[in-house]
Amino acid sequence: MAYITGPDVVKYACTCGLLKPITHLYFCRYCTQIRCSFCVCHEIDSNFCGKCSENIPSSEARLKKNRCGNCYVCPSCQQDLSTRIASKGSANPEEAKSTPKKMYYLLCQFCRWSSRDVGIPDQSTVTGGWPKRENVHANRLQELVDSYKAIILASKKHQQDKEKKKRVKCLSYTDRTGVTAAAIRKRLGLPADMTHPMLKNRPKNPEPAKAKSEVEDLPDSIFTEPLNLAEIMSIEQRLLQPEQQPTTVDKLFPVHKQLSIKRSLRCRSCEHNVSKPEYNPNSVKFKIQLFAYYIIPEIRIVTVEPLRSGKTSELIVKFTNPTQHQTTITFFELDLDEVESVVTEEVAEVAESFEQSLYLQEKQQLSLPSLGSLSQPSSLLASRTPSITVKPRRIKEDLNCKIGIPESSFILLPRDDAAEYDDSGDSHNIQDDPKLVKWRKSNKAFIRLYVTPNEDLPLNSEVTCGFVMQHIYTNTITSKVENKEPQQYNHKVKVFLTLGNSVGCD
Amino acid sequence: MELRDINYNKGEYVETASGNKVCRQTILCGSQNIILQGKVIVQSEAIIRGDLANVKTGRYCIISKEAVLRPPYKKFSKGVAFFPLNMGDHVFVGERSVVNAAVVGNYVYIGKNCVIGRRCTLKDCCVIEDNTILAPETVVPPFTRYGGSPGVQVGDLPECQADVMVDFTRGYYQHFQPLKLI
Repeated sequence: MAYITGPDVVKYACTCGLLKPITHLYFCRYCTQIRCSFCVCHEIDSNFCGKCSENIPSSEARLKKNRCGNCYVCPSCQQDLSTRIASKGSANPEEAKSTPKKMYYLLCQFCRWSSRDVGIPDQSTVTGGWPKRENVHANRLQELVDSYKAIILASKKHQQDKEKKKRVKCLSYTDRTGVTAAAIRKRLGLPADMTHPMLKNRPKNPEPAKAKSEVEDLPDSIFTEPLNLAEIMSIEQRLLQPEQQPTTVDKLFPVHKQLSIKRSLRCRSCEHNVSKPEYNPNSVKFKIQLFAYYIIPEIRIVTVEPLRSGKTSELIVKFTNPTQHQTTITFFELDLDEVESVVTEEVAEVAESFEQSLYLQEKQQLSLPSLGSLSQPSSLLASRTPSITVKPRRIKEDLNCKIGIPESSFILLPRDDAAEYDDSGDSHNIQDDPKLVKWRKSNKAFIRLYVTPNEDLPLNSEVTCGFVMQHIYTNTITSKVENKEPQQYNHKVKVFLTLGNSVGCD
Repeated sequence: MELRDINYNKGEYVETASGNKVCRQTILCGSQNIILQGKVIVQSEAIIRGDLANVKTGRYCIISKEAVLRPPYKKFSKGVAFFPLNMGDHVFVGERSVVNAAVVGNYVYIGKNCVIGRRCTLKDCCVIEDNTILAPETVVPPFTRYGGSPGVQVGDLPECQADVMVDFTRGYYQHFQPLKLI
């Protein structure tokens, strides 16, 4: 329930240092690290319209400015517009007996705005052919867009040339033979001076905008006529139509509905997918789903005794094992300062490995024999190295409550979907520490912990505690492992619990 | 947070062979047109209008107190026709919500005091927040969170929402237990 509506009381620390509920986390099984939406690459898989559920290819979506061609939203309240039928009798009284012609108009069923309000004629087809309004500045905008596109193209080309030159320089034999590029050019009879490529094919600058010194005076009516606020558009309504930005409601025009996207997520450090949805816009299934919710044991608060500063209270938490493998949970003390030192270490490690990979790359480049075909593989290589190295940050969370770390660990049984229909009762033979494990059923266990809020904690302040949970993660990738035994890792997660407000002594 | 046990009076509820728990203080009109697939909870003073058209729910649906399920109608030139209301599996309908939708997908959460307008389509895995008014014929796409009046998209849902809803409705059904007299 808490995941759907309520506040997030149990948070897990992502590798990057952000705290998130487990439903928002991913687990990359290649790096065996937790990832959150801020430390994965987001890629657009497909564009679709949320109303008609139609997939639109990305090129078409770009052409239509990421809007659906058939669906409209109300310019007044931004709800979907629906097409209504109005049967119109023939204008000619002699043909009155003939079937009435069907005409269509758009209507918002929430605010009752309709396309007839602004004088858009009814259409004879369902899908419309609704008139488009010409933007008076369309030509100017197109001109600007074109010129900026040309600039981008030129700078890209310039950069490519530069890269090529650089590479040629370090690989050519001219240095050894003493023949310079200029000398070769001379020998070949080419002009020796090389103009800067940026200057050579510089794109044409757009016509600069001119400031007007004379501005039209305000009409007299603005001072004399009373203002009717009902006829003036709101800011939201105006910004919905950025091209026109009309001021009065009689210029409201239906707006094409904005498209939604399906996206796949990719781990930044190993470039493996952690989430890949199915293509169909209505499908809620995934081709790749490495969500933490399916891999890391879930923790829920069941009950907590009233929290008083300096007094120990009992806390019952429920652990659920979502995997098909048995796991063992062990608790460790959480030390945020220690976390920091680990963080700095990790950063150093990351930097080192990055340098090493760069070095390797260079080496590979040097060893490649051909000159011309070089740009292709090296760019491929570059794309496989981490796009952005994520620097983990310090976890910002004030812990004002001590938690008694139990010395013993406990076992969580694997998840069994058939257990729901099994009425045979508990048939496990697990020797549990009765002080720690209160009750267990199938893959769930209720664990008793003791928390002590700090002595100096003021009344009614939020109590937060944290600990490190270690569970056994069973890696099921068989392709990498030669022996078929699945690999097991001890994986540690930092968990933060918000227990509620402290109460006074009674 | 783990759900607390929700206790009910055994005399007030009827439990069918397929595990449906239906309160006696409900108004089920046209009961021959209402299909509850199993493990469905219909709580007190809920109204299901099976007399207008067929109402079909999936497994593990929870219809809270004073909620109304009412098949939508469509106006034609010759009159009005009612359309069946289809609901998927693992759907939660909050207290005092009125559902007038044509289709409610799987794994849908509808909060308290909502009005789902006429002939709306709620796709799989969506959440309607408390006190939302959805305009008629709205389509709610998957993995979106709708809220406000008129209902607009206010956020996204995590990719594992389907399993969260399965866990929630199953947990609700397991915690919905008769009062044990001591």
